[in-house]
Amino acid sequence: MEEGIVRYRRDVWGEEVILGVSWDLLWVVAVAVLVLLAAHAIVMAVLVNRKMDKPSADGRRVLRHETIDRWFHWIMAVSILLLIFTGVAPIIGLRVAWLEIHWISGLILTFVVVFHIIRSLFWQDFKSMILGPRDFGEPFDSAKKPGKYSFEQKGMHWAVTIVALTVIVTGILMFVQIDTPFWDRTNSMPEDQLGLVFLLHGLSTLALVALAASHMYFALRPEKIFYTRSMLTGWISEEEMAANHDTTRWSPKEAD
Amino acid sequence: MAYMHIGKDFVPPDVIGKVTGRIKYAEDYTREGMVYARLLTSPIPHARVLDIDASEALAMEGVFGILTADEVYPDGEPQSTGLKILTNEPTLVGEPILALAAVDEKTAESAIAAINVTFERLPFVLDPLDSLQEGGPNAFVGGNTFGQQGFTEAKWSSDQVASFRAGNAPAEDAPTTGPIPTFSIGDLEAGFAAAEDGFVYEGSFTTAGYPHHSMEPRSAMAYWEDGKLYLHGTSQSLTALANDMAGIIGVAKEDLVFINAATGGGFGQRARAGSIPSMAIPAKMSQKLNRPVMMRITREEEFTIGGARQGFQGWIKVGFRPDGVMSACDIFVVSDNGGKGGGADAFSAADCISILYQTEAVRFRGASVATNTAHRGAQRGPGQNQIAPIISPIMDVAADALGMSRLDIRVVNSAQTGDVGGPQGTPLTSAYMPEALRQAADAFDWEGRETRRRQRSGSKVTGLGIGQGYHNAGRSGMDGIVMMGADGRLKIHSGVGNLGTYSYAATSRAAAEVLKMPWDRCDIVTGRTDNHLPITSPQDGSNSIFTNTRTCYGAAMDMVAKMKEIAAADLGGEPADYDISEERVHQIADGSVGMTYAEVAQRAMELGGKYTGEAELPEELHEWTQIAASRLAGSAFMGIYHDPAHSNNPPGFTVTCTEIELDLETGKYEILDMVSIGECGTVVHPQGLKNQLVGGAVWGIGLSALERHLYDPQNGLPASTGYWQSKVPTYLDTPVKIDTGWVDLPDPENPVGARGIGEPSQGSVSAALTAAITDALDGHIFGAAPITTDMIINHIAGTQEDAVALAQNNFRG
Amino acid sequence: MVATSHDVMPDIELYQPADEANALELADTLGSDGWLLGGGQDTYGWLKDRNKSPSAMIELTGIDAWKGVSETGDGIEIGAVTTLTEIAEHSLIQSRFALLATAAGQVASPQIRNVGTLGGNLIQDTRCWYYRRGLSCYRAGGNICYADSPEGLNREHALFGSSRCVAVSPSDTAPALVALDATMVVSSASGQRLIAAEDFFVGPARDILNMTVLNEGEILTAVRIPNTWANAEYYFEKVADRNVWDFALVNIASAMRVENGVIQDARMACGAVECVPRRLTQVENMLRGQARSEDLGAEAGELAVQGARPLNYNHFKVPLMANLVKRAVRA
Repeated sequence: MEEGIVRYRRDVWGEEVILGVSWDLLWVVAVAVLVLLAAHAIVMAVLVNRKMDKPSADGRRVLRHETIDRWFHWIMAVSILLLIFTGVAPIIGLRVAWLEIHWISGLILTFVVVFHIIRSLFWQDFKSMILGPRDFGEPFDSAKKPGKYSFEQKGMHWAVTIVALTVIVTGILMFVQIDTPFWDRTNSMPEDQLGLVFLLHGLSTLALVALAASHMYFALRPEKIFYTRSMLTGWISEEEMAANHDTTRWSPKEAD
Repeated sequence: MAYMHIGKDFVPPDVIGKVTGRIKYAEDYTREGMVYARLLTSPIPHARVLDIDASEALAMEGVFGILTADEVYPDGEPQSTGLKILTNEPTLVGEPILALAAVDEKTAESAIAAINVTFERLPFVLDPLDSLQEGGPNAFVGGNTFGQQGFTEAKWSSDQVASFRAGNAPAEDAPTTGPIPTFSIGDLEAGFAAAEDGFVYEGSFTTAGYPHHSMEPRSAMAYWEDGKLYLHGTSQSLTALANDMAGIIGVAKEDLVFINAATGGGFGQRARAGSIPSMAIPAKMSQKLNRPVMMRITREEEFTIGGARQGFQGWIKVGFRPDGVMSACDIFVVSDNGGKGGGADAFSAADCISILYQTEAVRFRGASVATNTAHRGAQRGPGQNQIAPIISPIMDVAADALGMSRLDIRVVNSAQTGDVGGPQGTPLTSAYMPEALRQAADAFDWEGRETRRRQRSGSKVTGLGIGQGYHNAGRSGMDGIVMMGADGRLKIHSGVGNLGTYSYAATSRAAAEVLKMPWDRCDIVTGRTDNHLPITSPQDGSNSIFTNTRTCYGAAMDMVAKMKEIAAADLGGEPADYDISEERVHQIADGSVGMTYAEVAQRAMELGGKYTGEAELPEELHEWTQIAASRLAGSAFMGIYHDPAHSNNPPGFTVTCTEIELDLETGKYEILDMVSIGECGTVVHPQGLKNQLVGGAVWGIGLSALERHLYDPQNGLPASTGYWQSKVPTYLDTPVKIDTGWVDLPDPENPVGARGIGEPSQGSVSAALTAAITDALDGHIFGAAPITTDMIINHIAGTQEDAVALAQNNFRG
Repeated sequence: MVATSHDVMPDIELYQPADEANALELADTLGSDGWLLGGGQDTYGWLKDRNKSPSAMIELTGIDAWKGVSETGDGIEIGAVTTLTEIAEHSLIQSRFALLATAAGQVASPQIRNVGTLGGNLIQDTRCWYYRRGLSCYRAGGNICYADSPEGLNREHALFGSSRCVAVSPSDTAPALVALDATMVVSSASGQRLIAAEDFFVGPARDILNMTVLNEGEILTAVRIPNTWANAEYYFEKVADRNVWDFALVNIASAMRVENGVIQDARMACGAVECVPRRLTQVENMLRGQARSEDLGAEAGELAVQGARPLNYNHFKVPLMANLVKRAVRA
């Protein structure tokens, strides 16, 4: 039973309940993201011709990401990619034993996300990620430069936050519905609620696929790749900082 | 006594039709313009129908209409338990909500799929103990029991339920409820005191409540013509069922023609109209659409609305004196009464113990509790057969403990002529259990085989079992009609259903016997009620042989008396001067003075009046018989009889001995040998009796070894909706040969000395087989029927299952 | 709205190809809409219950090339639509691969074996009653298992290899073919592939919707049995509730090479304990070089059931499986 974005099924007594998201949307999302990113790439290619050179990576370096945060990022990245791959594999007909890898990756993701939330609240500059009214003006005024994170970066972060939390919460609810070394499964959740959980997990998965693809695209773009380097090495050059950030609003330590 | 027909085999008239497949069952009939009805049944174990939207279905091509509970019951559904024709408050999955008629079944199914029923889901329960527990769900909106006060709630404290579940004795004040909640015979305390130096067993037990498995589903076809309803249906009692079916449908008895030439198995659930109200659906639909309507019932529907035995969860304590006499039995049974009300199986179980073992003191207590599972009703030996496999191993353990032979302990406790039994101390009409035990033991060489008991051969071990079965087997108070035309042929009008036992034909032979008629000069008039058939009892309770030999005998005796009157009037002398032989009524002194039957019949028709049923009919004739007689009146020479009720209990007894070889590694066993002996008075039809003993044996194997009726505890879905899932025994699960025999001593309260036998033949086999399994496993009492492969393996392996407690319907998933 | 019992065949196209090419083309064209029909013993229940709704059936029993038993260079080849009765009674199979003849002879009932095919017995769907009832469980594409839950009726279900679904392989011939190291011949419009019997079946961890690795458009057309295990010492035993017309609670198929009472090599598989026939590799390894005995059998049985995870009602399968392995080893 397919209807738009939702798939339905019969519950044990024959009533129609939600089964989950329609996986046809996976292809819709894939195509849409590809088209949008391709369009962006073309527009940027035209713009780059008119723009000045990239700032130099040489010179003094400032610390953008601490080691622990870089580890967090890459563990999260790997677990999300594994989750996406293992989640999508059976949908596209790959016969792989995906479920254990999926929930182990999910547990790792959950753990690092919880870690990140706690760390960001108490040990990091949480304010630097807050989206304020000023941030919304940023894209329309080239004079306005961001603090540590640009509007796009904050947007991406919060989008990923919302989607990841949704996928994690629904994932945990699904996790308790399967047999694990820690417990035997139950059918304690009413079937209509179970369907809703599957739907939200599916929708957030689709969003995550789109976000992950976009994130990777921007991370690899020439004008942004220094951020990716900073996620590997921790630093950006002062010149890069000056070109992209308002130093009055972000004063990082010097990198080691 | 030398009989002409009684005790002799014959070929019943429907045998050839059954062997060749030419005989017609309800589903085989067609009628011009016939349409096909299908059922929409409840997918939910307990619900209330809030709305039915059939607009899309009714707009489909080939759909003629639907029938709902509101139409069937314009004044509202009966506020009681019992199966309904259609309902808006289903109390089990599969209960019919509505019927739809279409040009063919495929169209009907597609249309039904387009109907949208909005249900309100209601709480449901599958285990009676869950419902008994305080705060537990009820199967009905009004409670979990139904009695004279209407729906009521029976509840125990949580502690009481937990204790009972754990196998403990119920408290002295444990609440009882049910059709017959309690009885007590003798001094229980004294009985157990007498057993102190003997043997006392105490334990819990469960028995499965499984369905009837009739081969023929309860399909029916109906049409109306000239104000009369013609209903092709299924039944195990022809006139008794039609008589009540008229009321269910709402048609005058004289306007109902019920046609039922053959039935593919009854076993209790087709004896009474209340068990098959679904046959009213095509009748009502036909009335609404003015077309013949065929409604085929599917195998799955046969399982869901076809009914089942009551399952037991019980506790029993039995005491034996040192001499082996069963001095006391205390039994408490929580019965699963299903979603539509049930019966009094547990009472019958206790009653059976009192009669079969002549127990000095018996106390029965019970609670009969509704669950949202199949309709419960009479099934072959309801109660007597559930308890047979429970009590038999207890007898054996007692015998071993007391150093007695297992045969002797049964002889010591057996019923004989002059004994009484049951809560009222009802005398038995006759009883020859010691003879039956001896005959079975001799035929089986019980003593000789005892040396093989528990012998090991590799992984296999030999088990021996002996078992007894009982059922009360005979009613009375019914009517008989025989007719004879100018051709001198005897027409025996039988209202007995043709349920496959051939008892309709066997009982008719009592009339032929009285009239000394060659069998080929007799016709059995039956099969459809417009053949004008007398009323008979519902054919449950093994009663046909006893009941209807009495009526046929009486009707024939009436005809003989009338023959003598006519002959005396025409040829001189008194009626007492005449006798009959070779189809003649003649003077005793001079056999040449007489008339042929044909001549008497001709003369009777000329005389009319009482001779042709136009006057002086027995006053007590049942209304149904009166209608039949009034239509036959004047057409031919009539013998007619109303059988006065008798008072004592005619028992049917069986004894079975069996030897098995049980493989301790697989839990499987082979039944190597089996002998079943019937004790049912004079044998009327040896082949029929043999069929009953062998058929009952297959049923007994099912009860003890295999059959199950499972419901998913989570959602109330029936898991056993076909022959495969419900594990009816197959050919290779039964012994290669089942030897049979019979005691053949007459019963004084039947004119041909006969008593019934259908039901106990299952119980004794079940008892013997369970005893043999117990024997092979060194006396381990499972306290369960069936004992399945997994239970045996778990027992041998000592597996401790951390599984949910057993429930009678869900004994093993 | 669904009714609880249908019992009426739906409208369905019936294709009766007479040759291989036609059948393969139909399978290719119809894809998942084309239901492969052998003896029909697994098919008609699904269709009459309306729990599976393909639009067409491709009847394979008319294709002579996929019927019968023939000798090949290094063994035999059995057409997939050969009936089970023919296999059970075939002299070549009886004389050389009696393990398969015995297994085939214990499937279901004589009536079913007379029409049921080897292919059908191998690719038949699982018998989990929740799934067969048409419930939308994991195996039916849903998101729940009704059998593996605290109250689920799972007496007949799996001890091993469960992953959300706990259904088991119901086949009697499958363990025999795994023990005989058979090869499945799978054909499609694009050609043929050969799959080891052991790899032909797939568990829920890898594919929760299918019991075999057959893809759309593919047909199991033959089974090849190499002479590797010809005339070995065989043992097949099926324990079911009923002695006829039932599925195994556990079955075992074993082939052994024994010299002077010492096991040179062994290959064993158990059915009805996992979604696939469970190859007992560890047991095989342990047995090599050992003298057959009761004790060795018991040890092998214990090893065979290591790692079993019983559900609510199927604990009995653990000692039963151990005992069957014991019987195979000491036989």
